[in-house]
Amino acid sequence: MRYVYRALTLIGGHRAQRVMGVATLAGLTATVVIGLLVVPPDAAQGDVQRLMYVHVPAAWVAFMSFGVVFIASAAYLKTGRVQWDRVAAASAEIGVLFCALTIVLGSLWGRPVWGTWWTWDPRLTTTAVLLLIYVGYLSLRKVADSPTRRARWSAVLGVIGFVDVPIVHMSVVWWRSLHQEATVLRPGAPTIAGSMLATLLLAFVAFSLAYGYLMAVRMRVGRLEDRSALPVSSLSTPRARRPQPAETPATVASAGNA
Amino acid sequence: MHDVGYVAAGYAVTMAMLAAYRWHLAVRTRRARRYVSTVSGQARTERR
Repeated sequence: MRYVYRALTLIGGHRAQRVMGVATLAGLTATVVIGLLVVPPDAAQGDVQRLMYVHVPAAWVAFMSFGVVFIASAAYLKTGRVQWDRVAAASAEIGVLFCALTIVLGSLWGRPVWGTWWTWDPRLTTTAVLLLIYVGYLSLRKVADSPTRRARWSAVLGVIGFVDVPIVHMSVVWWRSLHQEATVLRPGAPTIAGSMLATLLLAFVAFSLAYGYLMAVRMRVGRLEDRSALPVSSLSTPRARRPQPAETPATVASAGNA
Repeated sequence: MHDVGYVAAGYAVTMAMLAAYRWHLAVRTRRARRYVSTVSGQARTERR
């Protein structure tokens, strides 16, 4: 666990963060250009299928974020280290962003294909529940009165809330659904054309980089906000006076004797 | 042709949400950093 956190800290370094930001921008640009202009449209759905290159990776990142919340929450409950709570909070916030994006994009795709913006389909309903669970998680963090209690309560919810992720994934298998079944993460070979699969994999990489980049920035914000929540007395403690460059060791010594 | 509007809206919403969240984080960073440096009276110790 200690090594995982150290790896996260390395990713949060300024240079790594800048490199990741540039890589994210390049990846997202490539996804937009290839997804809109290069890859051919779907034979059945036409151009609207191009939404797959943002909808599916957004869902993947949402699941990954909530997976990180689960791991970090379990680690917090085991070790009690505040760093894990910070990781969970950061990942939950990003997960909520991508989960909301998944629902909006699915709605935009559903309107021309299904003829409706929203339907109480098992996949859509379980995804909406997932979003509500983690919006609740973020709300819980706002209401708890002490940092320790906030961390413990949200860690418990972070572990329990993850139960909905496999339910969302399996909902199209377990229940009759309008939503199509998995085309990539399924037993056997993916049922998708090679160029579409390659574009989708590129989008997965670009969105995962976006997650890593946002996570690094959000972790830095978390550290600063935790510092600003400390009592004023602990922030304003004067530092030990350092000798100024003009002062020689002799003058410092004589000042000390006086 | 009608479908292209949904696709354009989807890509635009994606990029707008990511950019808006990044901007939101930048605002929070600035606010927290300003608070810490004001209260502690120290020069900014962390780089932008």
